[in-house]
Amino acid sequence: MNETTRIERLLEAFATLADTLVAGYDVLDLLQSLVEYCHDLLDIDSAGILLANADGELEVVASTSEASTLVEIMQLDADAGPCLDCFTTRAVVSVPDIDVDSEKWPDFRAIARAQGIHSVYAIPLRLRETIIGTLNLMRNERGELNPYDVRAARALADVATIGILQERSIRDAAAIRVQLQHALSSRIIIEQAKGVVSETSKLSMDAAFGQIRDHARSRQLPLSVVARQLVAGELRL
Amino acid sequence: MTTHSFRVAQSALAETEGRLSELARPFLDFLPVSGVSISTFGPLLGVETISATDARAGRIDELQFDLGEGPCWDALSTRHPVIEPDLAATDSWPVFAEAVRREDVAAIFAFPLVFGPLEIGAVDLHSTSPAQLTVRQQRQTLALSAIVSRILLRHAVNTGARSTPSTYSRRLVHQATGMVLAQLETTPDDAYLIIQARAYAEDRSMREVAEDVIARRIRFSVLPEHRTQSDEGAP
Repeated sequence: MNETTRIERLLEAFATLADTLVAGYDVLDLLQSLVEYCHDLLDIDSAGILLANADGELEVVASTSEASTLVEIMQLDADAGPCLDCFTTRAVVSVPDIDVDSEKWPDFRAIARAQGIHSVYAIPLRLRETIIGTLNLMRNERGELNPYDVRAARALADVATIGILQERSIRDAAAIRVQLQHALSSRIIIEQAKGVVSETSKLSMDAAFGQIRDHARSRQLPLSVVARQLVAGELRL
Repeated sequence: MTTHSFRVAQSALAETEGRLSELARPFLDFLPVSGVSISTFGPLLGVETISATDARAGRIDELQFDLGEGPCWDALSTRHPVIEPDLAATDSWPVFAEAVRREDVAAIFAFPLVFGPLEIGAVDLHSTSPAQLTVRQQRQTLALSAIVSRILLRHAVNTGARSTPSTYSRRLVHQATGMVLAQLETTPDDAYLIIQARAYAEDRSMREVAEDVIARRIRFSVLPEHRTQSDEGAP
């Protein structure tokens, strides 16, 4: 992608995020758009977002691929990996080469390496003192993420976080927790809906998610609404 | 019997969750029978009388287990109700019929306890005088039996529960739940219970069973609906 196209696409991503925030939105759909923009615009191979649940554990809520390997890598990352460090220190964690300093996070490194991931960049979803989760960018190449991508990724993450936290007053911590918990529980019904579509259309989980997302977008419905219809047998794709 | 007494029995049953010894009583409240017992047997759960409304009902269960024949065995193996309105006239189960007549039992009915593909046990109902159940009563008894099946299964899998699955495992279990609910055209709760029971029966984790479902190594198929026996000859 040349520089002009890239800037245009980036502006378009910000404009779309801003529109979503103004128009009223579903947190889960917003985060799904965010990982997809990152994947399209940045020099990365995969991306995912983890949110803290009611017990303070990080759970994968959106990712660029629903293939189980990527989700499992990120979930291990949440147990002991750059993503957990990013969440606990509330600061960016960059791992430019997964084979350096390799005594840290052995499980995470092993599975990431096996999937060809060689560098990781984790960004906190944070506004002042409130942190809700992390955005994780993974690359097959070694080395630091280039400075343009770093700025763009942090700006995209900030816009999404501000959107989520500003919808209600940031002091209304309980309301924010309820909203984030809702996004995580929507994930349960989305997983079930992936199973339904995978069974009825004989598709992989990733392809099944693609169908659900495309249907939701074409009808301008939240993912969770479409998922609920599929699970209740009211909709067949 | 009216719909009202059936509803009362239904809610009484829902309230017994946790107190398994109370499970038989609600049947007695809306059916023209003298005693009721509920037992588990079959490949999944051990042989055990879970609840009996009186000593005779308990002995009827024991006789069937000791003799290896009787209506409860037939009900579970055919997955259909067994209706025997007059034991004096039956040719079925020669040894059991002889033994049970000494208990002053004149009519006996057995309803299977199944959940999806799983065999759980049976409900035995008896009357000390010849009696018949109408098709409507049979349907209502099947409906209550389905509730009892869920309660017993849930109790068994929770008692033998392994450690809570990890976040990632839960995700796989939710996906498998979706596949199973599509296979059996059932609800997410029942599909989840099916996976849980399968894991319990095979002494494996839910994640392992879920992975088999997702990889299409395990498939659950729809079973035919229960049929009630015609109530020809009923009073």
